[in-house]
Amino acid sequence: MTKLCEGHIALVTGGAKGLGRAIAVTLAREGAHVGFNWTKSEVEAKETLAEIEAHGVRGFSFRTSVLDKQGLAAAVKEMEGAVGTVDILVNNAGVSDVVPLALMDEDDWDRVMDTNVKGTFLATQAVLRGMVKLRRGRILNIGSLAGVKMMQAPVHYSTAKAAIKGFTESLAKEIGRYGITVNNLAPGVLEGGVSVNLPKGRLDEYLRHTALGRLGTFQEVAEMAAFLVSDRSSYVNGATILVDGAV
Amino acid sequence: MRAHEGSAMDCVSCITPTRQDRPHTFFHHERAACPTCRETHEGRVVLRGDSPVRLLLCPTCGPSEEILPGTANAYVDGFLARGEVPEGFEGEIEFKETTSTCPSCLTLLPAKVVIREGRVYFKKNCAACGPSEALVSEDAKYYVRAYAFARAGTEPLKFATKVEHGCPTDCGTCNDHEQHTCLPIIEVTDHCNLECPICIVDNQYSNHIDLDTFARMIDTLVVNEGQCESVALSGGEPTSHPQILELVRIACRPEIGRVVVITNGIRLGKDRAFAKALKESGAYVGLQLDGFTADTHEKIRGRDLVKEKEAALAVLRELQIPTQIIFVATRGVNDDQIGKVVELFLSEDHFLSLNFQPAAYTGHGGGLFGHDAMDRLTIPGVVRRVDEQTGGKLKVEDFFPLPCSHPQCVSLTYLLRLEDGTFLPFSRFVDFTKHGSLLRSSATLPATPEMEQTLQDVLYDVYARQDEIERGPEILAALKRTLKVMFPDRPMTQKESLLIGEQQAKSIFLHHYMDRHDFDLERLRKCCHHYPQTDGRIMPACGFNMFHRGAAKGPGTQTPSWGKKPWVKENGTTRLSIVSS
Repeated sequence: MTKLCEGHIALVTGGAKGLGRAIAVTLAREGAHVGFNWTKSEVEAKETLAEIEAHGVRGFSFRTSVLDKQGLAAAVKEMEGAVGTVDILVNNAGVSDVVPLALMDEDDWDRVMDTNVKGTFLATQAVLRGMVKLRRGRILNIGSLAGVKMMQAPVHYSTAKAAIKGFTESLAKEIGRYGITVNNLAPGVLEGGVSVNLPKGRLDEYLRHTALGRLGTFQEVAEMAAFLVSDRSSYVNGATILVDGAV
Repeated sequence: MRAHEGSAMDCVSCITPTRQDRPHTFFHHERAACPTCRETHEGRVVLRGDSPVRLLLCPTCGPSEEILPGTANAYVDGFLARGEVPEGFEGEIEFKETTSTCPSCLTLLPAKVVIREGRVYFKKNCAACGPSEALVSEDAKYYVRAYAFARAGTEPLKFATKVEHGCPTDCGTCNDHEQHTCLPIIEVTDHCNLECPICIVDNQYSNHIDLDTFARMIDTLVVNEGQCESVALSGGEPTSHPQILELVRIACRPEIGRVVVITNGIRLGKDRAFAKALKESGAYVGLQLDGFTADTHEKIRGRDLVKEKEAALAVLRELQIPTQIIFVATRGVNDDQIGKVVELFLSEDHFLSLNFQPAAYTGHGGGLFGHDAMDRLTIPGVVRRVDEQTGGKLKVEDFFPLPCSHPQCVSLTYLLRLEDGTFLPFSRFVDFTKHGSLLRSSATLPATPEMEQTLQDVLYDVYARQDEIERGPEILAALKRTLKVMFPDRPMTQKESLLIGEQQAKSIFLHHYMDRHDFDLERLRKCCHHYPQTDGRIMPACGFNMFHRGAAKGPGTQTPSWGKKPWVKENGTTRLSIVSS
């Protein structure tokens, strides 16, 4: 069987570490040339780039924020010049912090909303023109179980991830006619993710409600991501796909 | 563009539905033998689903239909291929047949449609009057290609007459007509303050329509059509009607988007109070403006009207009355002023559309107007002059056949208003083979869901290709503005929606009415410009002008025995039957 993403060109936002890295490297394993952006994680970015290139594809590492429109445009342009039009976008970049609403500053709110929502908008806009021109594309937004179900999660984070679901559905409707699919991949709690900050009591409570009785891994989510951005996933569109082990 | 493919080809200018009883795209006329008696009659080829179907109405045996071999697409391709002229070929190609008229006795008779030296001619042979030829199109390629734009018609909510004798005797509109009424033209008077040598009607100076009769006609229109985007009040000279403002007020009702008073502008120019009242009534003006010189006016309108036209233009500008300019173009008289009228049209915001009408030599005046049937202006000739005389500001390639009428009847272009106030033809950034729904019988863009979808599609197309398209970023900005204002997050009345749409784009239409030389029954069957009558009939324009109104060859023209002439003789005078005494 050929690789899932052979001949495609992917941009993964926030791809230097964590889930972003897992997705970037998995897409590379599946044959895509992969670029990713980061802002602070210089060491991790180097490691990720090396892992990508170890799969024999071109890798691109960009130190730019998802809130930097010019930086994103330059990244997309560089990839286009080197390997062709970006036809896969994974909107992974996101931030969160545990702040009760009562004590949440406006800055806290803005930071989460900006990176998670506005960053998704800006990164999408940066690649959209090329996809429309190609009349082909895959946009995969990384949402969260917290944006779909009632969970004990920070309100601004849940709000942002619920916004991503709306963004996904509306955009899927708007650009489906250009052969571009837009989906929302919503993981549950993952090892090495927000789980590291959860008090043991809450983590145990969460696990009690999962059918598989364990946390997920970055790789398990990345495998689903690779399928959703591949040509084999041609009729999944506007969907929210939960990867949560059944909560 | 295929004639019948996809919803984009439905007539989105029309709210009435595609015919449920007979869902098809009328394609063309073709003579064929009745399957029962084997007599040859003119039949219709329509595209129904994936099949071409021939419909025939035999006077003896009644209606029949036959599914033709092959697919609809193959039929269309084969039909268009008939019109392809081999490189270097110098002879004559017979493209198709249709039914036309003898230019002398007006008898309906078969016509061969031939292509010769890049032009299209009708060749006819009347048993009584002998052979004749007439130029039909100055550009054979345009003529042939136009058929590819044929689009399914929609049906009115109610037909006015029954099918008894066939077209055009049963006008109108009968159940066999292939299009509903896009533009009703109501003649409100047979008085006029000019005697135009080019006039296509036959004014009797006997009556003005009364208010009750007019109100009844508007009621009939609304019953038949549900709603009309536009209703034109014509004549005669409608501003000579003593109650013209009352008529406008009657017509201004929620089901009617625009009421357009078609006028020579004389009264507007000298009666400012009237012009102001007309503006306040909400009416639009269709200003007859065929040129800018005394000589032109004298030849076409019978006297020097330079000052009158200037006065009319001045008051329209001062009061910002939304205006359509109507320019009747005739070879050797005013075809050198086509560019100038385009420049005028583009220069001022209150001009919403420009309508070129290559002269039809019919009617009390026009039937006698000097012309050469073999060397006259047709739509491609006017378009070429637009290109030449505007220095390419508008190009031949900017114009497309209007699909919802017969595609040989009307050509058009829409011009998008850019942020700097200039206009750019949609053809520069729209692929009409994909966005055929933009080609519609409307002076401006309508705020329909279909249009919103189309404009979004166009926006994305331009967005993807903005570096390759002339003024790409400016077009995007204009499209964004258009979408925002035309489709706000609140309900809008039809009137409000029309007003906003008018600010986004202008249009140029070319409408070639027919006369005894180039009459084509096939075109009449798809006609969507209709004259409502007091008896409830709604007559397709060229059938009315040619056969039912009379005077097709000038004064004294005999009306065919089957023509239902709407004149009555009473107390020694002749008057329009549409006018009650």
